[in-house]
Amino acid sequence: MSNKLSSSVPEDREVVLGILNNSEKALNKLYTGYFPMILQFILNNNGDEDDAKDVYQEGIIVLYNKIKSGNFELSSKLKTYIYSVCRRIWLKKLAQQSKKSNNVSDFEDVMAVEVDVEQHEEKDQQFEKMQSALTHLGEPCKTIIQDYYINNLSMQDICEKFGYTNADNAKTQKYKCLQRLKKLFFQS
Amino acid sequence: MRNEIELEGIIEDYLNGKLSDEELKKFEQLRLNDPAVDHKVVAHKFFLESLNDYALKADLKSKMDQMHGQIDVAALSKEVGPHPSFIVNLWRKNKAAVAVAASFILLTVVTLYSIQQTTQQSGSVELVSRELARIKNSQSSLIRKINSDNVTKNLKPANFGGTGFALTANGYILTNLHVVDGADSVYVQDSKGNSFKAVVKRKDSQYDLAILKIVDESFSPLSSLPYRLKQNPIGMSESVYTLGFPKDDAVYGEGYVSSKTGYNGDTTQYQVSIPVNPGNSGGPLLDEDGNIIGVISAKQNQVDGATFAVKSKYIQEALNSIPNDSLGKKVVFSKRNSLQGLSKSKQVNKIKDYVFMIKVYK
Repeated sequence: MSNKLSSSVPEDREVVLGILNNSEKALNKLYTGYFPMILQFILNNNGDEDDAKDVYQEGIIVLYNKIKSGNFELSSKLKTYIYSVCRRIWLKKLAQQSKKSNNVSDFEDVMAVEVDVEQHEEKDQQFEKMQSALTHLGEPCKTIIQDYYINNLSMQDICEKFGYTNADNAKTQKYKCLQRLKKLFFQS
Repeated sequence: MRNEIELEGIIEDYLNGKLSDEELKKFEQLRLNDPAVDHKVVAHKFFLESLNDYALKADLKSKMDQMHGQIDVAALSKEVGPHPSFIVNLWRKNKAAVAVAASFILLTVVTLYSIQQTTQQSGSVELVSRELARIKNSQSSLIRKINSDNVTKNLKPANFGGTGFALTANGYILTNLHVVDGADSVYVQDSKGNSFKAVVKRKDSQYDLAILKIVDESFSPLSSLPYRLKQNPIGMSESVYTLGFPKDDAVYGEGYVSSKTGYNGDTTQYQVSIPVNPGNSGGPLLDEDGNIIGVISAKQNQVDGATFAVKSKYIQEALNSIPNDSLGKKVVFSKRNSLQGLSKSKQVNKIKDYVFMIKVYK
């Protein structure tokens, strides 16, 4: 029924194990393997290439988190799961833009993934809140917070990087930044 | 301020599990006693988790963006994107429906066809009389003219031709009705090339049989007939042969009875697998012992090797309709069959004098 997609698709088991082991190679295989399928779906349902990229990445994140949380059972094909998730996400987006989404052109089997997508949306809200909070935080706070909490730099490293006279000054600065970020995050 | 910073440092260490046992106990006590501290712990925990999730997702996104860069999106879009043409799009979208519809139609056609097939043999029957070619050899006519005493004979080539065989020694000949139907005049020609004028004595349209009588003065009665009419039906797979005139000379054909019924289950006929051509109509069908078992009458157009022959039983019926006194002394089918036990070639050699080419002018 679907057009034959030429790209090679990795083994499901290989992908799941790869993601559990943080293998970037497995992620790459996964990503390049199924993108054409989603591109085809989006392009044939009122979307463009950028839509396809966004939706597909969301879909991969859903799968990634599901695998990481240990909830993923290989009861269905990975392909079906990805397709269903992306389809759901895209149809919701279309509905939000109040574009027509009846007469969906389907290319693959579809399974029920509503719960997973909703969970993902909640998480996504947190993500966007954090993103916006960080954006509003401004420099140098943003970099300090990211270096300390995300890149796991020590206070000493940050002190040197930003040219603070001593670690205590850096600590105070970090504390102030964190308070502001928390405020932004919890208020929004 | 300083305390606040230290408190947060402790909370972080607590959440990250970096406190020593003693510090842990002390802090948990503090958390129990001071709701404000407890609240801070919960809030900070949630915040750190959110920040961690954000970090992971941002990391994943940046990786995916990198991977995305490796994909030739434009080329892929061309391949999988909707075709500019509306028709092609319609086809792609409704492939499944079209496939279902097509297979349904196919199934219906096949079913109808097979139903029709079981009730009716396909292909029509082609009567095997021969329309003689205009350029019929004038040379052979000349030879006949010399051989023949009768010079007044019609030398114009015949329009149609068929085969017939002698029923009696005194000149009664059996052929197919469709060979002589609508004829202005009929001539029969024996194996030596002599032509004799004949008249149609009896027509039997039900079985497609006709009986001719040679009325020519130059005709001298034949010696007694070598073959006899077999009354009992013959079984499938029995070997049979025929002699006919698809061309100016007699042609021998050999085959077997392939079915006890003819076209569309016609019980008055056999189906015989034997090569025949236009001109074979009216020829005798004989079994291996030289008994006449039928008359070649037709063949099926679209089926290989399906020739039909009227059963001998109906020849007898046709014969019975001729008044006895006109049959003459030498009654046709004696009980004795002089051909029995002879080889095919000897049988054919004897029979050929009793098989005639029927020439019809219309």
